[in-house]
Amino acid sequence: MSATALAAPATPAPARRLDPLALLALPGLAFLGVVFLLPLLLLLWSSIRGAEGFSLQGYVRVLGDPYYVGVIGASLQLGLVTTLGALLLGYPAAFALARAKGGWQVLLFALVFLPLTVSIIVKSFGWGIVLRRDGILNWAMLNLGLIERPVRMIFTEGALYAGMINVFLPFMVLPIYSVVRMMDPRLPDAAATLGASPWFRFTRVTLPLSLPGVVAGVSLVFSLAVAAYVTPSLLMGDRYMTMSMVMAKAFLNLRDWQLGAAMAAVLLAVAAFVVVGASVLQRRLGGR
Amino acid sequence: MTGMAALQQAGHLTVAGASKRFGAALVLDDLSLAVAKGEFVSLLGPSGCGKTTLLRCIAGLLRPDAGHISVAGRDITTLPAHRRNVGVVFQNYALFPHLTVAENIAFGLRAQGVSKSESAPRVAEALALVRMTEHAGKPVTALSGGQQQRVAVARALVVRPSLLLLDEPFSALDRKLRETMQVELKHLLREVGITAIFVTHDQEEALVVSDRIAVMNAGRIEQLADPATLYGRPASLYVLDFVGQSTRLAGQVTEAAGGMLAVQTALGPVRAPGQFAPGSRVVVAVRPEAVVLGEAAENRIAARVREVSFLGSRTQLHLDLPEEGEDRGVVELPRLPEGIGPGSAVTLAFREADTMVFPAP
Repeated sequence: MSATALAAPATPAPARRLDPLALLALPGLAFLGVVFLLPLLLLLWSSIRGAEGFSLQGYVRVLGDPYYVGVIGASLQLGLVTTLGALLLGYPAAFALARAKGGWQVLLFALVFLPLTVSIIVKSFGWGIVLRRDGILNWAMLNLGLIERPVRMIFTEGALYAGMINVFLPFMVLPIYSVVRMMDPRLPDAAATLGASPWFRFTRVTLPLSLPGVVAGVSLVFSLAVAAYVTPSLLMGDRYMTMSMVMAKAFLNLRDWQLGAAMAAVLLAVAAFVVVGASVLQRRLGGR
Repeated sequence: MTGMAALQQAGHLTVAGASKRFGAALVLDDLSLAVAKGEFVSLLGPSGCGKTTLLRCIAGLLRPDAGHISVAGRDITTLPAHRRNVGVVFQNYALFPHLTVAENIAFGLRAQGVSKSESAPRVAEALALVRMTEHAGKPVTALSGGQQQRVAVARALVVRPSLLLLDEPFSALDRKLRETMQVELKHLLREVGITAIFVTHDQEEALVVSDRIAVMNAGRIEQLADPATLYGRPASLYVLDFVGQSTRLAGQVTEAAGGMLAVQTALGPVRAPGQFAPGSRVVVAVRPEAVVLGEAAENRIAARVREVSFLGSRTQLHLDLPEEGEDRGVVELPRLPEGIGPGSAVTLAFREADTMVFPAP
């Protein structure tokens, strides 16, 4: 064998526009195309197909009928309250998780993330058991003499919010945690030695640096909560109709595909707006 | 309290009887230190000796369990960090990654409520001081290590602290840059006229930047002295070993008279000034550059060369010592004589006055 044969090829490979590794995404894209994009197109098609061909009747009803407008408002409100609650509870929790050491961190991790392994249906039923008229909470308060008669908790908005925040809290904690974990814990110390008060340190150092995690958590929890179906169904039933519940009713009970599809399209638009808005915001925050 | 008052008079920074415990570990052990205005003092010691803990206590990021700390006569022991006006240059600098160079430097001024119109010229002045004016608008993440250090120094100085603490300020820089920055920073801080405390585990760095060095060991200051004294007259074997190299031989005092000792070592008798009773177990030591080849001084020992290290401006001989244990032999020569290499038999000579004696550990 000659020395030239052993040498590395002299001519560089021609530059390609697409990395061949990108081809690895094809099977996944094909799968998504079949199970996601196609049904989505069918859904959008259903939303504009009335009994006599093309019609926007579905959208007119969803966006014009006070009842359905109320449902959209209720869903947005549920999404907002859940997101706000999860943020207030999850933000400090994410810091505790990121700063905890050794065994404490394992324990906190378990507390935050083990609930994810429990089905959302089980969790919502669990809240039912806790909050029922003859549930654990009423039983405990009666026996402690805090109340004289059982308090109605289930089927109240408070119970719904508690259940929703419980279900979606991990989705707020995780993105904030992952940002905080990368944050140098000496930065607030550095700010302190420069004369910054605790409030100034938080608003000018800690908060801005954790904002990308907050934006990710907020968009994740809001888009999940606004589309929630199981938890509101089990904790509130028909008393608190969300967009997802109307969709289920339209498709399963009323067999009104156009209504259901139009509602689904509105929900999709709301979620897409939030997610796209968040990623734009995040890019701007991360641009520094 | 009279001791405290005396210390306060003595120093711009005064630490009196500071102790700090983390669980079972006593990290600061009744430590006292006084630093004069404008002085550069290094806290030198291995990791775990308490030097960073002491620094954090002075900065207000930790509170000592006992003792007092005062700056310019004011007791700041219980004051939170943001009310102390003690500047810190952190290891790896801890610059704010979401801010530009100028915004980093302006941070302290904004935190202290200095108006924009007043802070702008001060930021510009600080930028010029560290020669970073042309980088003012850059994000700090785009800077090199040396530039980041300059920004960290400017950020700390712009608020005019009464004291500047520097935690291993050169450890993130490569060797060449480190040597340049040591001299540059020392010059800069001297020009500003600030009192500065350096924390370092690097004895060469401490020798370069300090007026005085506090060698720390297990939460205490083993010796506080100027670099020449520390190197030439170390107070203990610990200091001898931590600062610079040496030839050290275990031995026993055979004779003591008129402040002179005769010590029997494994390589023969050595005479040195000192106060020990005959029969005491001691360690005699001599610095590498105080040793010459030949017989040109009072103390002479014969040894064999194990290894030769060429260091450019000088050459080190590492000696083969007959006994295992703490004995060590390091000699430095301006240049290596002809015919000497690993295995050569040599006679070493050093003056009695250069020979140090310590109690055996």
